[in-house]
Amino acid sequence: MTFQQARWDEPAVWDLAPPPGPESLPMIAGLPDRLRRKSPIQWPELSELALVRHYTRLSQMNFGIDTAPYPLGSCTMKYNPKVSEVLARRSGAAEVHPYQPESTVQGSLEVVWRLERILARITGLPEVSLQPAAGAHGEYAAMLMVRAFFRDRGELAERTEVLLPDTAHGTNPASASMAGFTTREIPDKDGSVDLQELRRAVSKKTACFMLTNPNTAGLFESEILEIAEAVHSAGALLYYDGANLNAILGITHPGRMGFDVAHLNLHKTFATPHGGGGPGAGVLAAGEKLGPYLPVPRVVKEGRKFRLDYDRPKSIGKIKTAYGNFGLDLRAYAYILSHGEEGLKHVARRAVLNSNYVAMRLGKFLPRPFRTLVKHEFVLSGAPLKERGVRTLDLAKRLLDEGVHAPTIYFPALVEESLMVELPETESKRDLDGYVAAFERAISDTPENLHAAPRSLSVARVDEVRAAREPLLSWKDLRAASAKVETP
Amino acid sequence: MPRWIPDEPGEEAALLGALGIDSMDALFADVPKRARIGRMGVGPARDEPEVVAEVDRLLNRNRPMSKFSSFLGGRITSRYAPAVVDALVSRSEFYTAYTPYQAEASQGMLRALFEFQSLWVEMTGLDVANASLYDGATAAGEALLFCRRLHEGTRFLVPATLPWEERSVLENYASGPGLRVEGIPFDDRTGRLDLDFVRTAVARQDVFGVLADVPNGFGHIDEGVPELKSILGNVPLVVAADPLSLSVLEAPGNYGADVVVGEGQGFGIAPSFGGPLLGLFACRKEHVRSAPGRIVGATLDAEGRRAFALTLVTREQHIRRSKATSNICTNESLMALAFVVYASAVGPRGLARLQATLAEKARTLASGLGAIDGLKAPRFDAPYLSEFTVELERGTAEEFLDRLRRRKVLGGHSLRDPRPGATSEAERILVGIPEATSEKDIQKYVRAAQAAIGAVGRTA
Repeated sequence: MTFQQARWDEPAVWDLAPPPGPESLPMIAGLPDRLRRKSPIQWPELSELALVRHYTRLSQMNFGIDTAPYPLGSCTMKYNPKVSEVLARRSGAAEVHPYQPESTVQGSLEVVWRLERILARITGLPEVSLQPAAGAHGEYAAMLMVRAFFRDRGELAERTEVLLPDTAHGTNPASASMAGFTTREIPDKDGSVDLQELRRAVSKKTACFMLTNPNTAGLFESEILEIAEAVHSAGALLYYDGANLNAILGITHPGRMGFDVAHLNLHKTFATPHGGGGPGAGVLAAGEKLGPYLPVPRVVKEGRKFRLDYDRPKSIGKIKTAYGNFGLDLRAYAYILSHGEEGLKHVARRAVLNSNYVAMRLGKFLPRPFRTLVKHEFVLSGAPLKERGVRTLDLAKRLLDEGVHAPTIYFPALVEESLMVELPETESKRDLDGYVAAFERAISDTPENLHAAPRSLSVARVDEVRAAREPLLSWKDLRAASAKVETP
Repeated sequence: MPRWIPDEPGEEAALLGALGIDSMDALFADVPKRARIGRMGVGPARDEPEVVAEVDRLLNRNRPMSKFSSFLGGRITSRYAPAVVDALVSRSEFYTAYTPYQAEASQGMLRALFEFQSLWVEMTGLDVANASLYDGATAAGEALLFCRRLHEGTRFLVPATLPWEERSVLENYASGPGLRVEGIPFDDRTGRLDLDFVRTAVARQDVFGVLADVPNGFGHIDEGVPELKSILGNVPLVVAADPLSLSVLEAPGNYGADVVVGEGQGFGIAPSFGGPLLGLFACRKEHVRSAPGRIVGATLDAEGRRAFALTLVTREQHIRRSKATSNICTNESLMALAFVVYASAVGPRGLARLQATLAEKARTLASGLGAIDGLKAPRFDAPYLSEFTVELERGTAEEFLDRLRRRKVLGGHSLRDPRPGATSEAERILVGIPEATSEKDIQKYVRAAQAAIGAVGRTA
């Protein structure tokens, strides 16, 4: 083991400098006393250098794609091009207010319009909105659109159910439920939707079937056309979760597969950085049935001018302030321009090639529960490790010690002790081989070492049970806890 | 094509060879022929200088705020971000990371988010903050659903003065579970909420939550807000607060707020045509298991040292699925980092000084505009900080603002709901004070406004 992450004994920001004393605040005329703060916010005032060192040290205790391979399944952790970062910081992009007159934001509107047109072609769904802030937000908006669609047709009272496969991302049932639907899971057959079960389940009660394709087992749903037929013949709609679009760029698209509406994650397929948890950008693309229900405003082109169109009587209205995460839209636009048609197609092919290669190699160490031809990601079962008293969690932690990130673990839930691996197209064969070698070292290590992992990170195994059992969620909680210790 | 896909000589052939296949096509044998597509129509690849030139060509069609004297505000504002904010947010160990599911590999982001949560707790006077939501409007939407988990009822009361975009977002969040969003009327002179209306509504026992914004949608401070909780009893009170205002205003938790939400964009985040933004959410500790979104908690590692992890995850979609408190997964973590770095760089006293300066400038501008015949500024007789409302006695807001624009002044934004069929309110403009506003900008606005209102109704 040669990897060692920085291990700063770094205090919290409030231990680096004191907060201001209880001095009075500047007077503001007309403020009623009842609403006036009596002393400054209790937060430290640091020198700039202290601040820079603090957060630089914290950054050194964090994995990113720029640090090492990051094979989180379903997250598509590909390289985030630096040119996009530069462009998003241009004053013409960053210093533009969403409420400026349209005549002064023609550039931003054109970027949005062009990106929407390109994404319409990539998805095969002609109506596109960039308003959702993230994938789950797009799902939710789409479910609200489905609701509005059936309300207009007078079928909402009856169509109360959203169906999803048991492999679905957790956001799918959560989004459907927030939009007022009940949810029902369709069992899989060898990791794919069981068509017979689906046919039995769809009815006049079904509003929508939500599907990811390739699915979270990394398998392409080869019966997709039959699935679409089954859903549509029941009068229901078909929703595409675009989390895994990376695998099929230029090969097929949601429109061709028969989907009525889709969300895309620009922070996955189109390489915008994930920011340690966000921001993302969730695109909505819809066919003719649901297009009129997209959020307002839509960006339209009239002659050579672009404007915001609010005249969409069927629209669900707004789902967030302004028009979407423009800073990320611009990055995605630069990414697509850079790749072009052939490049995007190559993205999918190479991602799938990488995935199949690593699946084949790692399949020597752990069983692969489903068929061997996979798309951008694949699933392994860590169940055999249990014979040695080791769990998937231990293996994941031990992998961190190799200086690579762990796969997604314990998802999808239908595979016991699952690991879900996705090494996108930006990883070289050298990196893939390096990952396989790291995996082999990790899985061959002794149970003692696996249990003791990680040892080379800024902290040892984190006690997550304790975190949930005795929640300490802020500085305020820490102060209260230490006061308790001091005065028992 | 960009060098973002590795392409060593023989690399792909070696990968294919290891799989025993000779072409990539074999990898897609599982995609039925009828589902295949031909060309997408995306166009050819461009190299990096061409991409930069093309994007710059488009961006040059924008005229950013710096080309004007800008007075645009609302929840999104233009404030100077010290260079240190972008420098730290640009550390790629932060920005190229995913959600910190593997706590040991992600202590840096987890600690930064814990500090962010702590800061919002200190600012609001509540106990628990989450690690961010999408924006202020969706944070209010999540607060609505949160209130419904705490209290029975079907009606959620919000100020009738709430910006139309937020109202629309709230109505969407309410629509799923069949709840209703209802406007609280306001006093025409002061913009203050009609507390008697609230009292009567609450007495009907079907109100499950009330939201009040500080400052309100008109930019004004409603002196009645601190009285709300005594009217509501155990009906939850949500306060939507502007973070900068909290540098000088009482923490809402101290006057009974059960939830405080807000838009955090002004703290170190560029306006960027409206996104990414930052949704802030804080609540009381006894309600934390009903809260939406990720939460970072402090714990110990196996060696007994301080460590951090995502916690209380059984609330969340990846565990609880359809029973989750929210569907949110991706949030705005990097923006949360910007928020805490900004606040730490400027400091609590710096924030208060900044707020006082903006309030001073706002007063100067309001009195300048208020002296102009045909304008009512500020429209409401109530305190204000960085923003206030101007009402036109003739003409439309659009025409007035367009005349200002021709004089290089972005004079604010119309408060009207632009959707056809929306009830037409009076011609009101929300005027904000960006940090860069100078005395000259203010004079320029006043002169331009004089000319514009004089010309309103005449052909341009």
